[in-house]
Amino acid sequence: MIRDLVLILSARAKMFLAAVKSLSAIRAVSFVFVIACFVLGAYYIFIRVFGYLMNVEVIGPGLLDRLIEMALFVFFIMLLFSNVITSFSTFYNSRELDFLFSLPVPPTSIYLAKLLENCLYASWATLTIAFPLIIAYGVKTGAPPVYYPLSIVSIIIYMVIPAAIASALIAILIRILPRLGPREVIMISLALILGLTYLYVKVNNPGLLKIFETENEQSLLLFAAQLTTVGGVYIPSTWLSNILRGFKGAASSATFNFLLLFFVTLSTLLISFIIAKVCYVRSWLSTGEHSNKKVRRKSFLYHPQRNAAKTILFKDLLIFVREPTQWVQLSVFLILLVVYIFSLRRTPIYFFFPLWRTIVAFANFAYISFVLATLGVRFIFPTVSLERAGIWFIGSSPLSFRKVLLVKYIFNLITAVIIMEVLLLSANLFIKVGRGVYLLMPVIGLFVAASLVSINLGLGSRFPHFNEDNPSRIAAGSGGIIAALMSIAYVGASIVILAAPAYNYLSHKFMDMPVNHLLVYAGFTLFVLFSTFTIVMPLRIGIRSLERRDF
Amino acid sequence: MNRLVIKNLRKKFNNVWALESLNLELNQGEIFVLLGPNGAGKTTTLKLIAGLLRPTEGEITIEGIDLSEDPIKAKSFIGYVPDEPFIYNKLTGREFINFVAGIYNVRNPDYETRLAELMDILDIGPWIDELSESYSHGMKQRVIMCQLLMHNPDLVLIDEPLVGLDPKTSKTVREIFVKLKDEGKTLFISTHTLSFAREIATKIGIINRGELKFIGDMEELSRISGKKDIEDIYLKLSDDNGIVQR
Ligand SMILES: Nc1ncnc2c1ncn2[C@@H]1O[C@H](COP(=O)(O)OP(=O)(O)O)[C@@H](O)[C@H]1O
Ligand SMILES: [Mg+2]
Repeated sequence: MIRDLVLILSARAKMFLAAVKSLSAIRAVSFVFVIACFVLGAYYIFIRVFGYLMNVEVIGPGLLDRLIEMALFVFFIMLLFSNVITSFSTFYNSRELDFLFSLPVPPTSIYLAKLLENCLYASWATLTIAFPLIIAYGVKTGAPPVYYPLSIVSIIIYMVIPAAIASALIAILIRILPRLGPREVIMISLALILGLTYLYVKVNNPGLLKIFETENEQSLLLFAAQLTTVGGVYIPSTWLSNILRGFKGAASSATFNFLLLFFVTLSTLLISFIIAKVCYVRSWLSTGEHSNKKVRRKSFLYHPQRNAAKTILFKDLLIFVREPTQWVQLSVFLILLVVYIFSLRRTPIYFFFPLWRTIVAFANFAYISFVLATLGVRFIFPTVSLERAGIWFIGSSPLSFRKVLLVKYIFNLITAVIIMEVLLLSANLFIKVGRGVYLLMPVIGLFVAASLVSINLGLGSRFPHFNEDNPSRIAAGSGGIIAALMSIAYVGASIVILAAPAYNYLSHKFMDMPVNHLLVYAGFTLFVLFSTFTIVMPLRIGIRSLERRDF
Repeated sequence: MNRLVIKNLRKKFNNVWALESLNLELNQGEIFVLLGPNGAGKTTTLKLIAGLLRPTEGEITIEGIDLSEDPIKAKSFIGYVPDEPFIYNKLTGREFINFVAGIYNVRNPDYETRLAELMDILDIGPWIDELSESYSHGMKQRVIMCQLLMHNPDLVLIDEPLVGLDPKTSKTVREIFVKLKDEGKTLFISTHTLSFAREIATKIGIINRGELKFIGDMEELSRISGKKDIEDIYLKLSDDNGIVQR
């Protein structure tokens, strides 16, 4: 069995290496560069934040430990989520499976190979944050050298638990409810995880939920420092944080927690392996039957449209709503955002002074822009690559790529603007910002949305992945990373450009300093010029690249 | 005016010539069949004419319009059928056909009756409203054929049309090709099936390793090569030494 597993995995590795080799040098270098920038940037921020916390009197170091523990807990839930979302397509819906199941290898080997693949695929993004986090923690707490290898090994072991849980959960769900489609399975799993997390926190650590009722910054800090453990002793994140913390003193605690983590991971793996042995093949077969179920579909393309733009739009919409990984993930994103917006209303900590309110409003604006950038990379970047099945048709038809991209641009822009403005307006309403900021921010938001859509659509055309069907994998590819970096760089640059006028505005309003009209006008003019450039250029690059491409 | 004129067309992939200096003229009512073994350059040629590949050298003119100068106008005359029948998985066959009609701006009033007729001929009616992810290779090919006939182009480019079709559909498809020719359309078909070429071609080309070894009709072909059987001729011509001077 081990041999079969090695065979499958080495075939995978060869495919991966071939894909790496086929990357052009420029792309490979920019890919590495982007990842390095991200990791180093995150490391720098962590070092600064941790350094600050270590210097807070009395409660600082305790607070830092809580923060780490909280982060690891959030990572765990995030890993569960991303594993559930990708599990269905990895274990049941990939083309390679038909081939693998026809081979004379036991299904459990296929399961293990797929588990590894899914684990890597679902976890690498979290790891790019987790590595700088634990290293910065080690540096700031003066951990001994052995801390670094051990903590990295621990976090890798830690990654396996959510992957195993997610695969087992999905296998069982499909097995007991074979009639469910992928979207229902994913939705039910996510709902289960959310519900169980809530219940667990509520039963195990009801104090944690009081966080929403704290009155001001001081009591929030005290509150956080007093919490014994955020997640409770039964959660892997607690063990992992105990391992990390153990190096400061109680080495025996580190050893104990490491062994605990290791054995729990092994047991989880074993249980999921047994579950796979019992139901993987049957579950896989039943999803096949389900997808062959004959359904007659009627839609707005049941009759031809008299307009090319409308035709493209309707086609895109149909494909979007019929692809569960697309709209399930979009819904999850939007629900989280709504929760965030409402939490702004429920935490009145900062809102005593107008100055604080305005600062929170600016921070919120930056945050929403980053969220929109993420949404753009995940949903807009892959749209051109998703044309792969029809690219032979589009390329040979009297339809210019310019028109295809413009239709996609306008539609995505409308969606992005709606999301951006609803979030901005409702958040600013809850924060109760002043009238000027309330009116100005949506205008800036328009430029940000238009630029982010252009960057992701343009780079999606410049770096398409025409041999991948799964949109989240397209977004996670090298082109997607470049788009992510560009989007983040755009938002960062915009914030830097707007910071000077914003600062001037604040000091005028709250400290009676004079208005520097020149600074304000120059700042906004520069922002508009910069955004115009980032709206026009990426689209042009994308169109030209498609027109010159060999399909 | 010639329907299709190709002058000195060449295509290089990563420093290897996949197609070397192709010259060709096709008129109304012709069926040109391009024969050649695997890797000969047939797909490359068709994709170049369809505008999916950019020529390294040479020019392609369709109805007097240079493909590189006004691609949109030139492409409005063509209909291309790829060797791999790709359809958007999440669309039904009918939706794909209507999608194509929407792009080509097909506006005839009897659209629905014509579609029903074609669905009958190609025998795609029973499953046309199911998602195409459940279709077999041949089913997708038939949908793509239907799409082509709905927008009814003047220059039809088809890559390996018979692969994956059952005998009945393959007969239907051949009849459709002949009917199109009789209507004055021009067909450019690539294949490695010899009998198919003998049956419907008005003009034959034989290509090997990116070079056109022969172009002409059946009689010319047997006269030059001195053989009666097309199979022998083909084997002789696609042999590397058997280059025939025109
Ligand atoms: N995109 C490409 N990149 C590199 N080489 C290619 C590409 N497409 C085709 N080729 C090469 O060009 C030659 C002709 O291929 P093709 O036109 O597909 O042949 P045919 O359709 O006659 O079987 C082959 O040697 C093939 O390897
Ligand atoms: Mg071919």
